[in-house]
Amino acid sequence: MKQSPGDKKLEAMLHSSNLVADGFMGDDKRSTPEIIQSDLRTLSLAQRSTEQLAQRMTAITNQAIAGLGTWVQIDSLRQARVDEAKGTLVCPWPHAGRFAKRVTTLKLTASGETIRWSDLNIHLIAAHSFFEGKGSHFRLEPDQLVAFIF
Amino acid sequence: MITDVLIPVLLISLIGAFLAGILVIAKAVLANYGPCEIAINDEKRVTVQGGDDLLSSLRTEKIFIPSACGGRGTCGLCKLKVLEGAGDLLPTEEPYLDDDERSTQVRLSCQVKVRKALKIEIPTELFAIQECLCRCVEIVDLTHDIKQFRLELQEPATLDYLPGQYIQLLTPAYKKSSEEVYRAYSISSDPAEKNIIELIIRLVPEGICTTYCFDYLKVSDEVHINGPYGDFRLSQTDRPIVFIAGGSGMAPIKCMLHHLHNTNSTRKAVYYFGANQVSELFLLDTMRQFESTLPDFRFVPVVATPEADADWQGELGLVTQAVQRDLKDAADCEAYLCGSPGMIDAAAKVLKELGVHEDSIFFDKFA
Repeated sequence: MKQSPGDKKLEAMLHSSNLVADGFMGDDKRSTPEIIQSDLRTLSLAQRSTEQLAQRMTAITNQAIAGLGTWVQIDSLRQARVDEAKGTLVCPWPHAGRFAKRVTTLKLTASGETIRWSDLNIHLIAAHSFFEGKGSHFRLEPDQLVAFIF
Repeated sequence: MITDVLIPVLLISLIGAFLAGILVIAKAVLANYGPCEIAINDEKRVTVQGGDDLLSSLRTEKIFIPSACGGRGTCGLCKLKVLEGAGDLLPTEEPYLDDDERSTQVRLSCQVKVRKALKIEIPTELFAIQECLCRCVEIVDLTHDIKQFRLELQEPATLDYLPGQYIQLLTPAYKKSSEEVYRAYSISSDPAEKNIIELIIRLVPEGICTTYCFDYLKVSDEVHINGPYGDFRLSQTDRPIVFIAGGSGMAPIKCMLHHLHNTNSTRKAVYYFGANQVSELFLLDTMRQFESTLPDFRFVPVVATPEADADWQGELGLVTQAVQRDLKDAADCEAYLCGSPGMIDAAAKVLKELGVHEDSIFFDKFA
């Protein structure tokens, strides 16, 4: 499919390291729409929506903020902590979107397995259905994320 | 047969070269704005070559506006007032400006092109900001994700700053970032060491600048910084001080403690330092030394969840809980906080509940 100039600009921004180290695409060779469509199919098989994911991730982050960088019991199965750094992250899509450099780490108490997301991840999922390209540092696998947070 | 291929290729190349030539000439003629005067605060005038953005133009005149993204319009830090000559607000600026700022002609200096005479307003303290070449002389591991960097000033040989202020460190283009970026770090040095800038930096997962500092920067490397910036600083009173900071938030507090020592201050002070585990506490010897050299200073490390084998005898829980338990006569105090917005909001709430007046709470928020 032919890309508009806006799409090309977005694609270039996602591949560049202008906003985050190594960019948002990792070593994924697919286009952004292909990545989004594929992840939405996976999410649909898990019977969840991007809105539900973002809502639950936000709730966990908000709960963990109270821990001031220490682990907080989310429920009987999960603990989470929030780490913050100076500065903000900017959404690569062309609109107003700046987010605190805040990373939430969620741990399954039984196994010790962890998954992490930034505030920008939550926005990218909620507003753009974008889980980042495979190999990207903050890529979230939709089915894995569902298993962790619900 | 070969000419059938070569002739069209040659023709296309010639057309391409012709168009490129027109573009170069057009740029030289149409985008040549000549010398442009910038009037700053009605007290200083500089003349720059037009065509560049305002942030870069001011930098060539050794006037440094804080900017974290190197002028790409993504950090929103390089705001200043452009009273005349800026043209219309650009879509790239809109996300960063609120209604008040728009109505008072605040602009992002990295997005404003210098095409004609400009009249601008900047805080006067920015005139004091200098660009410095340093050499990294020491890197110390403080915890698993916090390091202390000591930078020796080369040119200029010293930098005047107030305890609590910060500098911007330039990260050059490297494997993980195709462009130069600046990031802000509080100064932790002893101000008496005029030729040293010391920083305490926590690794941000996949962060452009901290990854560079942790994995690429080596002792003896050259480092470029500019500064000092910021209005987080000690007041000129004798009121008791409450410091609250964890992790790399210790940096400006350490600098302030050196200053209290250097000035023979008799101010009463207490520093609550929060950590998740005992292994995340650091510079304990330095803090104990302050306890012995300052006339009335207490250092209170607070650990949320000590390791099973740590034999921790100190304060337990969140730093805010320790403040709640320990702080007496809070209404007389001034508080200085450094850390994440979550920590600062929680600490400010506790301090206010304990009677500290809102005007007496000063902070350096990681935002």
